[in-house]
Amino acid sequence: MDERDPLIDRAIETLREPVRLDPSMDQRIMAELERGPAPRAGTQPLWAAWDWLRRGRSVTVSPLGGLAAAAALAALILVGQWGAARLNDSAPPAAALEAAAVQFVLVAPGASTVTVVGDFNDWSATATPLRRAPGDGLWAVSVPLPPGRYRYGFLVDGAQWVKDPAAPPALEDDFGRPNSVVTVRGS
Amino acid sequence: MNDRRSAMGVLLVVLLALAPRAAASQEPRLTVLSGIYRAQVEAILDSARARDLPVEPLVDRALEGASKGADGERIVGAVRRLYGELAVARDALGVRSRGAEIVSGASALRAGASAGDLRRLRELRGDQSLTVAAAVLADLVAVGVPADTAIAAVLALAEVVDDAEYIAFRQSVERDIALGASPTAALGVRLGSGAAGDALLQSPAEGPNVPGEQRPRERKP
Repeated sequence: MDERDPLIDRAIETLREPVRLDPSMDQRIMAELERGPAPRAGTQPLWAAWDWLRRGRSVTVSPLGGLAAAAALAALILVGQWGAARLNDSAPPAAALEAAAVQFVLVAPGASTVTVVGDFNDWSATATPLRRAPGDGLWAVSVPLPPGRYRYGFLVDGAQWVKDPAAPPALEDDFGRPNSVVTVRGS
Repeated sequence: MNDRRSAMGVLLVVLLALAPRAAASQEPRLTVLSGIYRAQVEAILDSARARDLPVEPLVDRALEGASKGADGERIVGAVRRLYGELAVARDALGVRSRGAEIVSGASALRAGASAGDLRRLRELRGDQSLTVAAAVLADLVAVGVPADTAIAAVLALAEVVDDAEYIAFRQSVERDIALGASPTAALGVRLGSGAAGDALLQSPAEGPNVPGEQRPRERKP
């Protein structure tokens, strides 16, 4: 059972013999390392830059430095947004160029104030007052509106909502105070 | 220690840099709403942005409610309802539809049109904008024309009139109603005259005299 093939025994003995290296081998290896990697023809600066970029770095940022960098970045973003807004302002949309004057008129002899309130003025109760014509109860204002469909109503004396009797009603009435509709045609 | 400082510094930079953008996504005009309702409307606006739906009509509806003194729940309900209509309109009209078309489509849905009606209108109008056609549909219903009749009329005209003619048609119907005609009669009379009406009524023997069931004439050049 313990008998082994003599060939295997000889192989084991051979493998157990110590390897004798050339005494000059260490010197040759060290000399090679000192010379560094072989230069790549024509691309050495690029590879050096690439190696530099890939190498890890430790960056230390103090809280004050971090705040300063953040403020600078935020300022850059704000300046960018401001610049974009200015660009947009400097090039008005075509619709704005084609705004048509729409006259809103209401007969309200007993009213002290009348305003027109709608989606063209963000439903502001004060932004667009009507002017009373002298001698009668006619109130009117002209508002430049680009082409589109607008919903609006009149607010009399700051409290009473009145739809425009001269305009079609708006279908959407989610708040129990009916609106009117004006459609401004494009050119 | 240095690593922790670095990480905190970078975090500060990122947070402060993102702050202006976060503030920009809030709608400043909604300050007229109280806190919880404003948050709910903002959430709806965020959903609309995420689905590429027009946001301005939603803001507008909230501002309308605030201006009219409606309570917060009612305002949120109105904004949510409009959001749903915009979503249905956009799905019916296609992802490439423009904001104004979606808004008009939502009005048409409110008037009683179905998503199928909007799809049909899109097919009939081809590359032309649906903004005016859908708005006219809503306007006709608003002046008292029964929804089915208005839908049939707008669909019947879709291939034979341009936007200006749609508006002229609506104005004529409104004028007739203001003079005392019934909405249905006014619609019938106006469909029976002019280029569009001629197209609709050119061969009565070929079908019933119902606007939506007339054979469309060839598209105008």
